[in-house]
Amino acid sequence: MTETLSEEVAALSTAPEPVSGRVARGAGPHLRRLWRQLTSMRTALLLLTLLALAAIPGTFIPQRGLDPVKVDGFLRRHPHLGPLMNHLSLFDVFAAPWFAAIYLLLFVSLVGCLVPRIRLHAAALRRRPPNAPRHLMRLPASVQWETEAAPDQVAAAAYQLLKSSRWRVDRRDEPDGVATVAAEKGYLRETGNLVFHVALVVLLLGIALTGLYGYKGTVLVSERGGFANAREFYDVFEPSRLFSDSQLAPFSFTLQRFTASYQPSGEPTSFHAYIAYRSSPSAAPVPFDMQVNHPLDVDGAKVFLVGHGYSLRISVKNAAGQTVYNGDTPFLPDDSQFTSHGVVKIPNLGGGKQLGLTGFFYPTAGVGPTGAVTSIYPGPRQPLLSLAAWSGDLGANSGVPQSVYSLPVANLNNIGVTQLTPGKSWHLRDGATVTFHGVDQWATFQVAHEPGKRTLLAGAIFIIAGLLASLRVRRRRFWLRAVPAAGGESDRRTVVMAAGLARSDADGFSGELEDLVGRITAPDPGAIERAGE
Amino acid sequence: MSANLHLAHTSDVLLTWAVFLYAFAMLGYAAEFAAGRRAEAAGGGSETVARGARRAALFGRGAVVLTFGGWAFHIAAVTTRGVAVHRVPWGNMYEFSCMVTLVAVSVYLFLLTQPRVRAAVTGKQRTTESVRCLGAFVMAPIILYLGLAGTVLYAAPGPLVPALNSYWIKIHVVAAITATGAFLVSGVITVLYLLKDRYERGLPPLRVALLARLRSPRNPARVSLGPGTAAAVEMGAARGGLMRALPSAAVLDRLAYRVITFAFPVWTFAIIAGAIWAEQAWSRYWGWDPKETWSFITWLGYAAYLHARATAGWRGRRAATLSLIAFGALMVDYYVVNTVITGLHSYAGIS
Ligand code: HEM
Repeated sequence: MTETLSEEVAALSTAPEPVSGRVARGAGPHLRRLWRQLTSMRTALLLLTLLALAAIPGTFIPQRGLDPVKVDGFLRRHPHLGPLMNHLSLFDVFAAPWFAAIYLLLFVSLVGCLVPRIRLHAAALRRRPPNAPRHLMRLPASVQWETEAAPDQVAAAAYQLLKSSRWRVDRRDEPDGVATVAAEKGYLRETGNLVFHVALVVLLLGIALTGLYGYKGTVLVSERGGFANAREFYDVFEPSRLFSDSQLAPFSFTLQRFTASYQPSGEPTSFHAYIAYRSSPSAAPVPFDMQVNHPLDVDGAKVFLVGHGYSLRISVKNAAGQTVYNGDTPFLPDDSQFTSHGVVKIPNLGGGKQLGLTGFFYPTAGVGPTGAVTSIYPGPRQPLLSLAAWSGDLGANSGVPQSVYSLPVANLNNIGVTQLTPGKSWHLRDGATVTFHGVDQWATFQVAHEPGKRTLLAGAIFIIAGLLASLRVRRRRFWLRAVPAAGGESDRRTVVMAAGLARSDADGFSGELEDLVGRITAPDPGAIERAGE
Repeated sequence: MSANLHLAHTSDVLLTWAVFLYAFAMLGYAAEFAAGRRAEAAGGGSETVARGARRAALFGRGAVVLTFGGWAFHIAAVTTRGVAVHRVPWGNMYEFSCMVTLVAVSVYLFLLTQPRVRAAVTGKQRTTESVRCLGAFVMAPIILYLGLAGTVLYAAPGPLVPALNSYWIKIHVVAAITATGAFLVSGVITVLYLLKDRYERGLPPLRVALLARLRSPRNPARVSLGPGTAAAVEMGAARGGLMRALPSAAVLDRLAYRVITFAFPVWTFAIIAGAIWAEQAWSRYWGWDPKETWSFITWLGYAAYLHARATAGWRGRRAATLSLIAFGALMVDYYVVNTVITGLHSYAGIS
């Protein structure tokens, strides 16, 4: 009897059956068996656990994607172990082939498991509820009572009640005047479960779509400077595998003003980048206040504010009085108080000479713990620019790519150092003049286009909806048999048996059975109830 | 706007009171056990037994009242903290712990007062008796959690770091807190399930089994434990009192499942909301930051638990063990990631 009960309960789910132990002969059955093995619940369980375990090293070993500097440090400190770990992709766990193997196998298993389950469930949705078992009173939740009403009256009442409580109901008449009712409810559980699992596949497709067609890039823009969305304007551009330049939306923007505010301790409290953007070259500019949690959405691309720093207005005149450099020069921050460094390179100062300037900028100059000048507050309260000038070959024409933020000075001659406040000029020995006009700010923006985002969001919504249905709805069956009492013609009594089943996960069915029977017998107070086992 | 230090201090005092009340409640629940067992052991006429049972129930009901009292102080404590710092009171680990425990107590009180749960546990709708025997076990980790929060993790009242300053903190963090609090309760019930299951299978208490394994790792069944054995077996019988008072293993299993089926979708939602927030704040929805990764590991763990319940040979004990491992991952996510591993989610508020 336990056998039949667990079969009945199992019939309420489309979960794959356990794979049997017997091995058939020939290659075909072997493959089929392997496939059944791969799409079994046990394999799904194993792969889920394996995926969780595989993710753990990625949280303790430094990862390139998160902190490349730390990875380099680790490699330097572990000259033997490091390369081996590198070989095993332990610094790129989440892009490692073995990590991908696990989740791809999991998704193959998932799809292989889903297809037959969807077919089974679709069939179950179309089928009539299964007929009442002969021995209802053997089910754990069952009751029996007697009534004066005729069997088909009882069945009709039950039918009506179940129908109005939105059960799927079926009435059948059996020989000897027996009337039965079979009902089922909670198909939504299985539907939700399938929706959830399909949504997982949708989520993976969304991730793949972004990974194949998206792009990402960062650009530094100083106040009053601008940006147009074309590859050559980016400082860093990372296209995906199948990306083509025609996907770049033709928007542009200018950074009008950037403001940062800080607590007295120097902790930042807010950042605003006031920009004006055009969605196409012919469109009118639209003002926008960009903040850390408030990106700009334009034409399928998103523009984020990701960093900021100081840009110094510096000009240089040569000995002849010609302006050879005039512009906003971005300085890169070195610490949280925005002590920053930057360079100016002038490869043709005139007269065949070259000039290089390296500098440190202190938004609020003060004296640090070591006695050296440092910045003691991130806001520009007392700006100070400390400069060194260099002559010699800057290497600009050497063909080797140069960073605009650094100048190797090993082969250059120092021709002086100074400290400037805004508005002040510096006359160099060779007749050139450097002027520090004032302080601007720059902001870095990240532009990202993720074509899979809508798919991802849809997947996420269905994941939640499917989960709620799957975990909160109870699938259950209810049966009723009304049998004429065995007392012969004169005996007008009817024996009614009712029983039900729920998926074993949920609480048993007794409570609901009591409730249903109560409502079925409610109009018949004369019924004599006798509880079953 | 700077924090209202006076009010923040009031909040601290209220929380201390909440912890005291919870501690007394725990003693009350324990006293109910003890009194019940003494009454049973004393035997005698049905009159004395009934009197003993009444006394036990009195302790139990008192403990419930104390729990409600602690809960009220707890709510007052987080509310005043929020008012004092002019923001939501879940901006650092200290405040997060206070909220998680508040959710856990709320879930316990909900189970206690739900007629359907009571019916499932006791077969009777009218009594809180059997859900009440979870009380001591729920109170213990909550007191521990709050103790840790008030000492090691305590953060002075202050504003949020800008990265957290978004309405998403209300959505994502509330979901994470709610799920964590509920997972805490399910974890307690699962441990009780495993103990009760041992008891129902007639195995010696875990303590005795471990002792035997320590003495003879190879063959724990063979070893004679000496004169202590009899005592241990006695203890096992005494344990019977405690174990008998607990609902059956099947009921505990279902109860834990029920709580997890509430917490799991909420946790799923928390992760998704977190991804949406991350996309706005850091321009990527998923970056395998340690916090994200451990949340995902936790999620996989509970997904594995739900699968195990539907897999032949994995139902029951093994599934329960998986859910405890998943809870372990949640604790790593919460304590280890916030304090040891650095990542973008550095909001612990401790240095
Ligand atoms: C990407 C991998 C998978 C994840 C994350 C996952 C997750 C889940 C979760 C969270 C549940 C419980 C919620 C619910 O019932 O809807 C569940 C249930 C279920 N999953 Fe999966 N699953 C995965 C793959 C699979 C595979 C490969 C199979 C096929 C063997 C499968 C079969 C099932 C079944 C039959 C249930 C219902 C269990 C029950 O009756 O309670 N899942 N899954």
